[in-house]
Amino acid sequence: MKTQNYIIKLSVLIFSFLIVPLLLYFTGNFQRRSTLMETLSITTILGFSLLLSQFFTSRLNIGLVKKIRMVNVLAIHRFIGYFFIAVILLHPFFIIVPKFFDNGVSPSDAFVKLITTFSTTGIILGIIGYTLMLLLMVTAYFRFKMHLNYKTWRRLHGYSALLFVIAATWHVIDMGRHSNTLFSTYYVLMVVIGVFYLLKTYVTNTGKHENKT
Amino acid sequence: MPIKSINGCIGCEECIKSCPTDVLRLNPDSKKAEILYPEDCQICHLCRMYCPVDAIVITPDKSIPVIVSWG
Amino acid sequence: MKTKHRKISRRKFITLTGGAAGFAAMGGFAMQVDWALNNPEINAETLENNRITTDVLVVGSGMAGLFAAVKAHDAGAQVLMVSKGRLGSSGQTPFAKGIFAYDKDNEALSIDEFVAKVSRSALGTNNKAYTRQLAEHSLARVNELREWGFFESSLYNKSFSKPIEERNIPVHERVTITHLVKEDDRIIGVAGFSIDEQKVLFYEAKSVILCTGAGGFKPNGFPICDLTHDGTVMAYNIGAKVTGKEWNDGHPAKSENPAACYDGWGDMFEQKPSTTRIEIRHDLGVDMNYMAYINGGAAQMGPPGRGNQSNGVSGGPYRPEEFTSQGGPGGHSQDGEEIQGPPPGDSDRKRPLRKEGKVAPPGMGGSVVGGSTAGMSIHKAEGLVPINDKCESTIPGLYAAGDALGSYMAGGIYTQIGSSLSGSAVQGAIAGETAANYSKTVKSKNISTKKLKSIEEDILAPLKREAGYSPAWVTQTLQSIMIPNFVLYIKKENLMKAALAYVEELRDHHVPHLRASNLHELRLAHETKNMVISAEMKLRASLMRTESRCSHFRLDYPEVDNENWQAWINIFKGEDGSMTLEKQPFNTWASTTKSSEIEANS
Repeated sequence: MKTQNYIIKLSVLIFSFLIVPLLLYFTGNFQRRSTLMETLSITTILGFSLLLSQFFTSRLNIGLVKKIRMVNVLAIHRFIGYFFIAVILLHPFFIIVPKFFDNGVSPSDAFVKLITTFSTTGIILGIIGYTLMLLLMVTAYFRFKMHLNYKTWRRLHGYSALLFVIAATWHVIDMGRHSNTLFSTYYVLMVVIGVFYLLKTYVTNTGKHENKT
Repeated sequence: MPIKSINGCIGCEECIKSCPTDVLRLNPDSKKAEILYPEDCQICHLCRMYCPVDAIVITPDKSIPVIVSWG
Repeated sequence: MKTKHRKISRRKFITLTGGAAGFAAMGGFAMQVDWALNNPEINAETLENNRITTDVLVVGSGMAGLFAAVKAHDAGAQVLMVSKGRLGSSGQTPFAKGIFAYDKDNEALSIDEFVAKVSRSALGTNNKAYTRQLAEHSLARVNELREWGFFESSLYNKSFSKPIEERNIPVHERVTITHLVKEDDRIIGVAGFSIDEQKVLFYEAKSVILCTGAGGFKPNGFPICDLTHDGTVMAYNIGAKVTGKEWNDGHPAKSENPAACYDGWGDMFEQKPSTTRIEIRHDLGVDMNYMAYINGGAAQMGPPGRGNQSNGVSGGPYRPEEFTSQGGPGGHSQDGEEIQGPPPGDSDRKRPLRKEGKVAPPGMGGSVVGGSTAGMSIHKAEGLVPINDKCESTIPGLYAAGDALGSYMAGGIYTQIGSSLSGSAVQGAIAGETAANYSKTVKSKNISTKKLKSIEEDILAPLKREAGYSPAWVTQTLQSIMIPNFVLYIKKENLMKAALAYVEELRDHHVPHLRASNLHELRLAHETKNMVISAEMKLRASLMRTESRCSHFRLDYPEVDNENWQAWINIFKGEDGSMTLEKQPFNTWASTTKSSEIEANS
């Protein structure tokens, strides 16, 4: 009974953050590119949707924590965190990959152009999001060395995640090659639910689980 | 349409500047390139080649019937 | 130098178009002319004007413009470059991938032998001084290009920017020049407008170099839709002599999606440029048009570029015997040559398809249609008539280089592979240096207020018209008059006269009514005006040349006539303003005096 329940819980997560974006990707009317670029696109999109899933593979998801214990939730959270943040960290470079295969604009020129076009909101948000993501990753990795008490660290982590998600989602919807209405709706929906849980937990925090880790 | 769509534009204006026939312009609100005069596209792909982020899609057809010497 | 875009606010736009739409609805009750109404998005009355002063003004930013600007600067002049498009990314330069360099250490032919062979292929139509100049200077120009990184990318903006930026030469991009200004019989400046900012621009210069390229009737299948003979026609309008209008570039296109010039050229536009060596040809192009004409379209043409014999077609354009083994345009295409036709239907010479795992672009392959370069002459054959080998035109202070100069470097036929691009470099450099030296000998002169006013009126007229013809429609009409095979390619007197009547109609009753609702259309309106004049020139010159030679083929005069036609045709505005034509014997320099004056003096 208990096993079944967490399988269902995990299946819901897998469905929401893997299957749905893949479905949206393959049913959307997008220009298909080379296999390499398609793979990189899918990786990036899943990277982002899985980062959004982080809200639900954390303490915020009390239901899941109860079923499979916090250590396991944390393991999932940590894996997705480090692995897919790495993917997202690399995504500006994925974008200029085609420049390695033609004789036109050099990859370095393309990259410089990409990160110095400050006239668009999308790029500025992207750079802000990127910085916050780096911050999240570094503070997560060195959290024991930072000598913060756990509660403070958790709030720092939660709120910077909140800022990151807002900047990043806005960036994705504004700039994303595949951000059609369906994708945008999906992202907004996931973010709204996630933020709702986060704020609910933090604002109405009863401190139940705070001393466990 | 010859030049079909722009996806993932970063607003760097490279395509706008490199189009010989002034097909593209910067949208004043979104600050991104938009296809404003597709009927003047000569399907030369310079915009696509100058685009740093591979955002431009071009098809070989023309939106209006073309006049040739014989057919 | 950074250009700003579209200053008009959305609200203003809506107000203007909304108002105009109301007017359109009202007008509709009376006479159904709403299709012709001009709905201006901008107010022509509030356009500012600017005056900019320089020593040498270079118009155009292709290969010729690059070297003109660089060499004029290096010769000590203050230089400014103005371009309808972008440095290295407009005109034909971005698509030319082969550049000829004569290296005496690596060639079997001496320069004299090279010039002689080109002259033989060109049937005397080439100007030997310019052919020789090409061979003499090409290697030096190519070496400079190599230094700037030209051979490292398929896109030329970066390498072209290098020498321009190093010298701090200002470049005004996306400015359409419409008028040359002449006072006291010399050039004193140019005028035009920006397509981004609402500005009429006046450039006052001691000398002007036109590097404006050639042009066509915005044909489908060749990347020349931004080239409309602007330089030639502007110069003609102020009294310069122009030449080379009877010759034809005869590139074909694929019958499906003929307008897709990128796809028609395989992946050539994506290639890095490379150098070419001596390879002298006699690329007619028009032989394919003849074959299609005789056999009834493309269906029975057989593989083009295989000579006439295999298709059972006799007669047609003459090809000197020693050049018969070569194919038609494109048939021989090897990598690295410059703009030559796509290899139509010739499977063993097909260029590799695009990479990235894509399949063949839809619709490519299959049969061939003609006219993809319609309206364009042979490279370097049409344009301003030079009075010496220094790219000087018949108007003091006005120079031209590259395809804007009727230098006859290659003659009335395409001869040396890769010479178009290096010829532009060579001539640009010479024009730049000569113009810089000239500018030291004259004082700058202000454009008079009266002239300023009348030119501004002329530039903005299409914006101010309440109703009129759209430039796109006039262009399409012109295309359907000029592009058919039996008008421009397989020429006959009665059909050319008929076409001329149509073109005169466009000139007299449509061009004066061209409308424009924004700066994009304003550019189209001026381009259309120039194309109509060029069409008239092409027809009149083709009618006058009662023989067939090189790329000019008359069905009613199919033979080469050496007795009467060892001569080029110059076109200029007669005293009454009408188009006047004269013969200039091969291997002579043009005089600055008009033939009427010559007659009067004799």
